[in-house]
Amino acid sequence: MKGLTQLEKWEPKIVAFLCNWCSYAGADLAGTSRLQYPPNIRIIRVPCSGRINPLYIITALMEGADGVMVSGCHPGDCHYLSGNLFARRRFVVLKKLLQTCGLDPERVQFTWVSASEGGRFADVIKEVTENVKKVGPSEVANCGSKEAQA
Amino acid sequence: MIYEEMTNNIRSVCEKLLNSNDVEVIVAYRGGGVEGMQIPYFAKTPEDVQNIEWGDRCYQNIAPYVHGLSKKVGILAKPCDARILTQYITEQQIKRDDVYIIGVDCVGMVDENGDPRPGCPDCMVRKPPIYDEYIKDDRVDSLDLSPPASEDGGLEANFERFRKEIDKCIMCYACRQACYGCYCKTCFIDRDLPDWQPAEIDAGTKMTFHMGRTMHLAGRCVECGACEASCESGVNVRYIIKEVTKFIEDEYGYSAGMDPEQVPALLVNKFDDREVGFLGGETHG
Repeated sequence: MKGLTQLEKWEPKIVAFLCNWCSYAGADLAGTSRLQYPPNIRIIRVPCSGRINPLYIITALMEGADGVMVSGCHPGDCHYLSGNLFARRRFVVLKKLLQTCGLDPERVQFTWVSASEGGRFADVIKEVTENVKKVGPSEVANCGSKEAQA
Repeated sequence: MIYEEMTNNIRSVCEKLLNSNDVEVIVAYRGGGVEGMQIPYFAKTPEDVQNIEWGDRCYQNIAPYVHGLSKKVGILAKPCDARILTQYITEQQIKRDDVYIIGVDCVGMVDENGDPRPGCPDCMVRKPPIYDEYIKDDRVDSLDLSPPASEDGGLEANFERFRKEIDKCIMCYACRQACYGCYCKTCFIDRDLPDWQPAEIDAGTKMTFHMGRTMHLAGRCVECGACEASCESGVNVRYIIKEVTKFIEDEYGYSAGMDPEQVPALLVNKFDDREVGFLGGETHG
């Protein structure tokens, strides 16, 4: 790694909220199919994308995540029938909120991955990681620590 | 004086209402506190009615007093109060039949220096959306009701502005206490599990609080300006709520407190909602 600048060495930390029924299984399939994808994501399994409180996403950003990815079942395929449809409205509004607060909405990525889409899961992770890398280190990640305030 | 005339109209309506025993109490304003000011007042007998007063400093929202009430009450409602009541009805906090609404037109309230109160200059709703009895103010017809310009100044300017406002915040929660919509029994920020607010208050916690509150008010804010008016540190994050509210109006066609039959935007869904900013396309399927 010698000769690289701080920014070139930097790898984004991405928190991925995956729904138990589709996307988590999709991630599992990507793993068992031995598909390669960037190791920047930390997966958190949730029962449904409708279970994701927007505060989870905000807090993840505040506590040091450079990006957050949320993935659930495709519309119409939700295990709980309409959880992802409620979530969709919430996420669209959250993106607008982030934009207004000056946090890059590109940091937060939403998508749908079904249990059979292992290949798509790997592609999505690649795309998300690239997008977050383009945006750069989080502007609020250190808001919570004393060093940043001084 | 137009306010005296309106006061007399309001008094006669209230007197009739209390004499008919339809309501137990009327929530309204009376002159008091400081010279020229109006403060909330509960009229219980027909004699009390003479104390009721309407003026240009009735800025305190009185609709939150009826939140969760189960007896029949009368309430004097300026447009933002009427919107709050409508919102309480859509959120099933009160029943429509339990409130007798005396709607009053409003040309905007002023503070002690005669300056307009926060929220009043941009107000687009000058007539109460629901009422049982209507007190008219002729001046509202000549008001210019053009929508305020967007305050989105680009990512970096937005962050700079947000950061500057946040630095002033001392987390006293006055905005939350003043807000009509913050009626959760336990606010998320007061919870221990999960602990959204660590013991040490830093910029991140303050941002979490204000963003979380905005998210809870998304599409529900009636833009009464109580949060901005109540802030002792001069924090104005109402512009964020305003932007989000406007976005929801454009995207989902829901304006808070305008129609008691409509369901709040984030409590319903449509299969073909647009997926703005989602990975892989604008819309699904």
